[in-house]
Amino acid sequence: MPLEVNPRLQTEATALSRTRKSSFQPLPYLLLLPSLALIFIIEFYPFINGVSFSIHKGNLLSTGGFVGLGNYWRLFQSPGFYNALWFSFVFAFFNVSISYLIGLALALFLNLDFPGRGFCRVALLIPWIVPAVVSIVSWKWLIADRGGLVNIILSSLGLGPIYFLSQSGWAMVAVIVIKIWRSFPFMMLSLLAALQVIDRTLYEAGRIDGANNWQLFWNITLPHLKNISIVQAILMVIWSINDFETPFLLTQGGPSNATENLILLSYRYTFGRNDVGLGSAVAILTLIVLMVLSTTMMRQQAKSF
Amino acid sequence: MKAPHPPPQSTLLLWIVVTSIALLLSPFAGQAKDHVDLQFWDMIWGPPEYIDTGKALVAQFNQEHPNITVNYRSVPWTNWYQTFVTAIGSGTAPDLSTGAGYQAIQLYDQDAILPLDDLISEWKSNGKLDDFLPGTIDILKYKDHYVALPWAIDIRVWYYRKDLLEQAHVQPPTTWQELKAAAQTLTDAKANRYGFVACGDTLGSQWLFTLILNNGGGLFTKDQKADLSSARNVEALQFLADLVRNHDVNPASAGYHDDDEVSAFTQGNGAIILHAPGLSRRLPKISDKMGVLKPLVGPHGDQGTIYWVNNVMLYKQGKHPTEAKEFLEWWSEHEKDLWTKGHVTQLPVRKSFAADPYIAGNAETSFIIENYVPVAKTTATHATEIFPKLNDVEGEGVMQTLTQNLLQGKDVEASVKEASARLKSILED
Repeated sequence: MPLEVNPRLQTEATALSRTRKSSFQPLPYLLLLPSLALIFIIEFYPFINGVSFSIHKGNLLSTGGFVGLGNYWRLFQSPGFYNALWFSFVFAFFNVSISYLIGLALALFLNLDFPGRGFCRVALLIPWIVPAVVSIVSWKWLIADRGGLVNIILSSLGLGPIYFLSQSGWAMVAVIVIKIWRSFPFMMLSLLAALQVIDRTLYEAGRIDGANNWQLFWNITLPHLKNISIVQAILMVIWSINDFETPFLLTQGGPSNATENLILLSYRYTFGRNDVGLGSAVAILTLIVLMVLSTTMMRQQAKSF
Repeated sequence: MKAPHPPPQSTLLLWIVVTSIALLLSPFAGQAKDHVDLQFWDMIWGPPEYIDTGKALVAQFNQEHPNITVNYRSVPWTNWYQTFVTAIGSGTAPDLSTGAGYQAIQLYDQDAILPLDDLISEWKSNGKLDDFLPGTIDILKYKDHYVALPWAIDIRVWYYRKDLLEQAHVQPPTTWQELKAAAQTLTDAKANRYGFVACGDTLGSQWLFTLILNNGGGLFTKDQKADLSSARNVEALQFLADLVRNHDVNPASAGYHDDDEVSAFTQGNGAIILHAPGLSRRLPKISDKMGVLKPLVGPHGDQGTIYWVNNVMLYKQGKHPTEAKEFLEWWSEHEKDLWTKGHVTQLPVRKSFAADPYIAGNAETSFIIENYVPVAKTTATHATEIFPKLNDVEGEGVMQTLTQNLLQGKDVEASVKEASARLKSILED
């Protein structure tokens, strides 16, 4: 049976619509224009420019002719691109997972009541607070083959010296470990904040029901940390893949490009090789990779509600 | 009280016209019209006193030429290329500048450089060119134009620790064969002492260039195509790979930078290194224990090392090319102070400067000028002239990666194959 519409209501709705149309006020939209222009200049102009560069030949001085997807095609044929893509994923995977585990362990520890807790909370934030240049240069001294503390200890144990920055495998380990060291305080801080808002009565109820510590952690703590964990993971993946300073200051992507991620590759192509088109193509592909990863994780988060 | 009437528009206009004419006719305005301001950007080529000397020279020029004021700006090497292209792109390029070895040709191809053909032609006819070391003028000829004027030579030479060689009863090597034998004798891995210490940065890649050129090889064919996998080149690379395989090269070398390499050399963790001239001045504590090897003789009797002829270039955007050339000419003839007072470690291209007691009296510098400069070659070898892509080849880091591969003991054939593909890709862009 077709749906009947009350003619009086229909007349009223039409009248309201006309009133709305006639009372259109342009001022609010005009007031929004400066903000929109600012967003366009800051966000979209560089992006559009980047896309435009990526489909043109050219150098830092002048944009060359249109090459369509030629730069992307060259990139897909370059072993350097796959090497950087692979290292970016390895770097992000280990950084996100290990810094999360360390951050979670420390957050659980700092959530306990013990003397000196305040000091520990501040002290554990130091890796996050110290400027990247300072911390990375300090690490370079620590792991130096001659006179570095780590190698002095390893040598005294008969295990060294290890040439951390001179061998591809060890250089990857060094870059990842230092990134984890710089990242875990963020994980710790966010998780600690999330832990502190969990209702204590839930744990009391659990204990009354006979749950042990592991069951309390698994069934109460972890579910409450799920949302913040997904947000943290998204942010940390973005920050890891976009990380320029850690590999650049430590190894400059070497030795043998073993620690070169997509951002370093984009930098090398643009400023080293003077090929802005190829460098921009790497940057655009990095953006696409990050968008795919972020969207997947956000969908995962949405499903959990 | 009645307010005074504002002056009518015609009176105001008359005032403006009269004032403008008076200003234009005044002696001050005449001086301002004839006076020329030039911007000179000079890279930092030496210690802090280099900059002071450059400024003092410019002040002297300004005093001698009241109608020209040259403004001296010291430009750091960090992001040097971006500095220049940004300036050119925004229309604020200097009138003239010093720069990297191949900067002039790269910017010339982008229509930013003013050729110096007339100046060179004039100097050729009046004999002024005779003061320049052979080849240093013509090396900067590109597409039949002289794109810059040389001022200094940057070169790589072999330094060795006299004390370590004496302790090991090793004579300074003169051939590759002797070099290999010396390295073996000098190496004592347990004591962290090695025949060589190298590095994985730009200086490290110059090891490869030096060995390749020393062996009569070159990175390019005559028509500027990649030729890395030629027999002579591979033989040179294999020589380094063999030294690494025999543990004669400090194993930390692949991750070292210039400073680390020099530090290891100072501490005796490497007895022989490749470096720019002036190293003994940089290391006063061990300067009496250091020597420079004679240019080595390769297995086929060749000699060679890498060098760059650094230069001064004029920019098309400059509004006063005549005055800029006048300053360039003056600078080229008066810049001896850059060595005697500024202590720049590069070698002068002018024979008259090289004859100065400050330079001629320095045994190390004289030795390098006499022995290394005549056998030195550019990275463009065997191409018939230098070309813009050389900058991209150096900047892209292909040779650095190849050096790091070899210093880590990776397979020569696979490494050369990978590097050749990268090199071809750069040249084909």
